[in-house]
Parts: sequence; structure tokens; C-alpha cells
Amino acid sequence: MTPAAPVPPAPGTGGALAWRSPAARSAAKYRAIFATQLAQTAAYPADVAARSLSIVVFMWVFIHLWRATYEAAGQSQVAGLTLAQTLWYLVLAETIVLSKPRPAAAIAEAVKDGSIAYQLNKPYSFLLYHFSVGLGDSLVRMVGNLVAGGALVWWVAGPPPDPRGWPLVLVAMTLAWAIDFGMVALIGLLGFVTEEVAAFEWIYSKVLFLFGGLLIPLDFFPDGLRTVAERLPFAYTLYGPARLFVTPDVDRFAHLVTGQLLWLALVGGLAAAAYRAGVRRLTINGG
Amino acid sequence: MAAIRVRDLRKTFAAKRKAAGLRGSLAALWRPEHDTVQAVDGIGFEMEPGELLGFIGPNGAGKSTTIKILTGILYPTAGDVDVLGFVPWQARRDLAFHIGTVFGQRPQLWYHLPAVDTFQLFGKIYELDDAVVRRRIDALADAFDIRHLLLTPVRKLSLGQRMRCEVAASLLHQPRLLLLDEPSIGLDVVAKQRIRDTIRHLNAAEGVGVLLTSHDAGDIESLCKRVIIVNHGRIVYDDKVSTLKRQFLTSKRVEVRYAESMPAGFTVEGTEILKVGKGGYGVKLAFDTRRTPVEAVVARLAAAGTLVDMTIEDPTLEEVIRAIYETARPHAGAGDGEASAAVATAGAVGEPPGAAP
Repeated sequence: MTPAAPVPPAPGTGGALAWRSPAARSAAKYRAIFATQLAQTAAYPADVAARSLSIVVFMWVFIHLWRATYEAAGQSQVAGLTLAQTLWYLVLAETIVLSKPRPAAAIAEAVKDGSIAYQLNKPYSFLLYHFSVGLGDSLVRMVGNLVAGGALVWWVAGPPPDPRGWPLVLVAMTLAWAIDFGMVALIGLLGFVTEEVAAFEWIYSKVLFLFGGLLIPLDFFPDGLRTVAERLPFAYTLYGPARLFVTPDVDRFAHLVTGQLLWLALVGGLAAAAYRAGVRRLTINGG
Repeated sequence: MAAIRVRDLRKTFAAKRKAAGLRGSLAALWRPEHDTVQAVDGIGFEMEPGELLGFIGPNGAGKSTTIKILTGILYPTAGDVDVLGFVPWQARRDLAFHIGTVFGQRPQLWYHLPAVDTFQLFGKIYELDDAVVRRRIDALADAFDIRHLLLTPVRKLSLGQRMRCEVAASLLHQPRLLLLDEPSIGLDVVAKQRIRDTIRHLNAAEGVGVLLTSHDAGDIESLCKRVIIVNHGRIVYDDKVSTLKRQFLTSKRVEVRYAESMPAGFTVEGTEILKVGKGGYGVKLAFDTRRTPVEAVVARLAAAGTLVDMTIEDPTLEEVIRAIYETARPHAGAGDGEASAAVATAGAVGEPPGAAP
């Protein structure tokens, strides 16, 4: 057996990378966690491709439903949207939902099987660790879903909306993803106390589908309900980015991003507080 | 300065209680009941820098809970803890830079990726320079003999191979203290020995202190100079392993199988025959190493016939703990303090519920 070669002292406050700022060192570790998860998800391209087929099935159903709706209405526009716009809206909304990570399930599972011990004893933020893992996992699936769903709708309804709006949509989607992460992480942190969170996650997903505009864009809602729904975080998660995609507009973008940042601050703050409270009560199965 | 200092550590859990069956489930839904579990009940000890300390006990003794408090993962109910100058639960992330941990069979390596990817990720997480990480991976690959495994996805590794990679990963940032919670659980004899050899070597080469929990007395015998035994959340023994072996690991159990049948009334000098199997081919016996050396028993068994198979077992931890209490009892007249003094030179305290009559 060869002796382990001596190396410079282990870091305590930056160690070998002490010349970098704390923010840069933090960014590097979360970037590395993100990249490692990206590599792990991409290790199974056939799985990613197979999962992407589900959006094709959903969109195929939506295409027939909405085509029938527009034919019945006898108008090229309903609630301000053409059939093509509605279908592209649904592609984006479905992509966001189907690519979402499941940090609640991951946290609850880690509490149940005890592997949370490893997630808590490393020099990083527990929540940002899950954020980075979730982002790495989502990105691969998001690309797969967007390509598969987009190809079908392009074939049926024509080309996607103006590409000049896509960078704005990307920003809005990133913030939407973060709000959803915060909401689901909050549910996951319940697992520190309850261990099982599947029921809470199920309720959240159904509320998100309804008030986020996954099945029906909020434009089709009655005025009163629409006014309420538009102010909830669910709309900033699904409806906002998807609607921006079909009608890109700087004012709409500014309004959307402002709301998203406010909700993100609130949800992020709540998640951080829930973590601090939950970790004190944590018990770990198996000792 | 001690690497670990623990004073009167206590941890209480509330565990759900439910009667059996559907009726019990419904009743628990309506009126949930909880039991209070005292997982750690007044533990106190110190560990010197670079020490190899065994921390053993049967399942549910409180050893894993103690380790998790020492790493800052769990908050104690009461007590003082200092690990490398940190209060673990108040400075968990700062402390993490200085300690390495392995929790039994719970994986920290990324399952679908080669182990080297996790090593490189840990390099970033522990804020190590890339060149340092490369040198460190190189050194650990030699020390643990895992160079040929580094590029294989973790899911393709055997348990023994994976555990070598797990322990190596926990040493990447060259911690001053390694906390190993059942690192050899589920491993075969060869894999266990490899892990033990490497830990002993790294302790000597790098001065890393090792706190090792196990319910395998063999881990402690081959690695540690000092051992703490816990039972029901309390320390029942704290002294040198050599003393433990001399006092309590003296009985051995042997199981042999012969090619031919042994005659009725078969005996082996210096041993007690526990059982002779049907047909007289298999024999179980026990002996005390203080009175009869192992080599003498083996020689006598070999002389008695043609040996086909032989296993020699140490007493289980439960038996050792029972022996500790039984040794303490005759001296315990004035109370637990005297009992502990009789059992060990340092720190044996208390008496468990339901100890020796």
C-alpha cells in the first residue's frame, strides 16, 4: 500500500481557494453540483427520450380538444388567443410542469432512509444543494420536452412565436422554476417532521394545474376568477412565462418579472425559515 | 487540546406509538400517542487528536445518534459538545471542512456516475484547488487500491469496492477527524480487513483521528487502542481494548466439522463441548483463552480427526456487555460509582434497565 501523499492543509475558510471571494467559492460549488446532476441525468439518454414522449401524448390530446373548441366557437380567436397561440402556450406550460424537479419527494425520502445525514454534513446550504440538483435534473428534461412537444405543435399549428422574445421567456422560466422549487421545497421540509409528504405534494400539483393555467390558459377564466388567479404564485409559475412566450412584450415581461421576484423573495424566505425550524426537530431513522 | 469533548450529552426522541392493525391505525389518527425514547442518556468522554477510538454497542444503543450530534446533523436535548473547537450544531458547515464521515451503507457517491466524478465534486464542495484534488485523488487511489475502479459507474461496483471508494471520498479534503458509523457493515471478511488496514495506515500516515462505531468487535480489536461501549444510551465501558480483550473477550466459540464421525463422549482438553451434531461429524465447543490458548485448542481438534471445516467466533457484543455488568455487580455494593471503578479504569457508569439479576 502506498502512503497517501501529504497535501496542503484542508480548507476551513476557503483553504486552497482562499484567494477567491466567498461568493465565488459558493458559486463554484453549486455550479459543480448542478453540472454533476446534469451528467447523472444525461447518463441515460434513452430514459430522457422516453420520458419526453409523454408530452407528445398530452399535446396530441390538447390539439384535438382545442381544435374542437375553436371549431365550435367558429372564431379564429377566443379570449384573445388563436388556436396556434393556445397550443404553443400549452407546450410551454406542459414543458415547465413535466420538467419540474421533485425536491419534496427527494427530501422526504432522504429523511426516511437516513441519507439526509450526508446532505447535512457537507459545507453547503441544504436548500441550495437541492436547488442545484433540481436545476441540473430539470434542464435535461426541459430540453427533451420542449423539442418533442414543440416538434408536434410546429407540425400541426405552424412555427413558434417570435424568437426575439425567447431570451425574455428564458428569464421568466428560470424565475418560475425557482418559485416552484421554493413552494415544493417548503412541502419537502414538512418531511423533517411528518416524514411523508406525498399528499401535500399531490394537492399542490393539482392547485398549480388549475390556478397556474396548465389545462386552460387564465384568459379563458371568468373575470373574477382570473383576477384572483393572476395574483397567485401559481400564475407566475406557469401562465406568466407561457403567455409571454406567445405574445412577447417588454411591458408584460417587466410586470411578470416584478411579480416573480416578489413571490420568490417571499417563498424563498419562508423556505429558509422552515429549514431553520425543521432541522432542529429532525430525527433520522436508523439512529 | 482534545479533538472531541463531550459532557453529559442527552438526546430524547418522541416515537409514534400505534396499536396493531387497522383499528390501531384509526385510533392513532384520532388520538396520536408518542413514546419518549432516551437515545443518549448522559454520555461524556474525550478523544485526543489522532486517536483511534472505538465506539461500540448493540443496535439502538445510541452510538449513531451520538455520531450525528458530533457532526452537527442532530441537535442534542442537553449537554456540551466540542469537536475541534466547534459546537457542532451551531457551526455545522465550518466543522464540515475538518471532518470526514461515512454512514454505513448509505451512499454519498453519485450512484450513476463514476466515483471520480464525486471526488471532483467534493473537491469543489470543500473548496480545494483543482491541482490539489488531482494529487489527492492520486494518493487515495493508491492507498485504497481503487485506481482501477475510479472510472466505473458506482452502481457497477461491489459493496466492498464501493465502501473503499466511500471512505476514500470522505478523506479527500484531508480531514483532521474521521467519523465512521458502521463502515464494515455487510462486508465480507476480506473487504473488512482491507478497509481496516487502510484506515490504520492513514491514521499513521496523516494523523487523522478516527472515531469508529461498529457492532462488530473485530473492527475495534484490529483498529483501536481504546474503546467505549455504550448500551441504552449510556457508557458502560471506557478503557483500553487490550484490557477489554483480557477481561471480557476471553471466551471463544468453535464450530468444527470432521470427515469422520466422532465417538460418543468426545472431549477436547481445556474446552467445554456444547453440542455434537447428528452422526457425530459436527461439534460445537467453547473455551476460555485465559486458561487454554487458541493454538492449543486448534492443535487438539486437528489431532482428533480429519478437519473439513472450522470457524472461531468471538462473543457477541451483547455477551460482552452482559459480562461487564456481571463483573461489576459483586463490587457494586455502594452504588454505580464503585461498580464502574471495578469494571474499568475510566468511565464505566450506570446500569441498564434489565441488567444482570
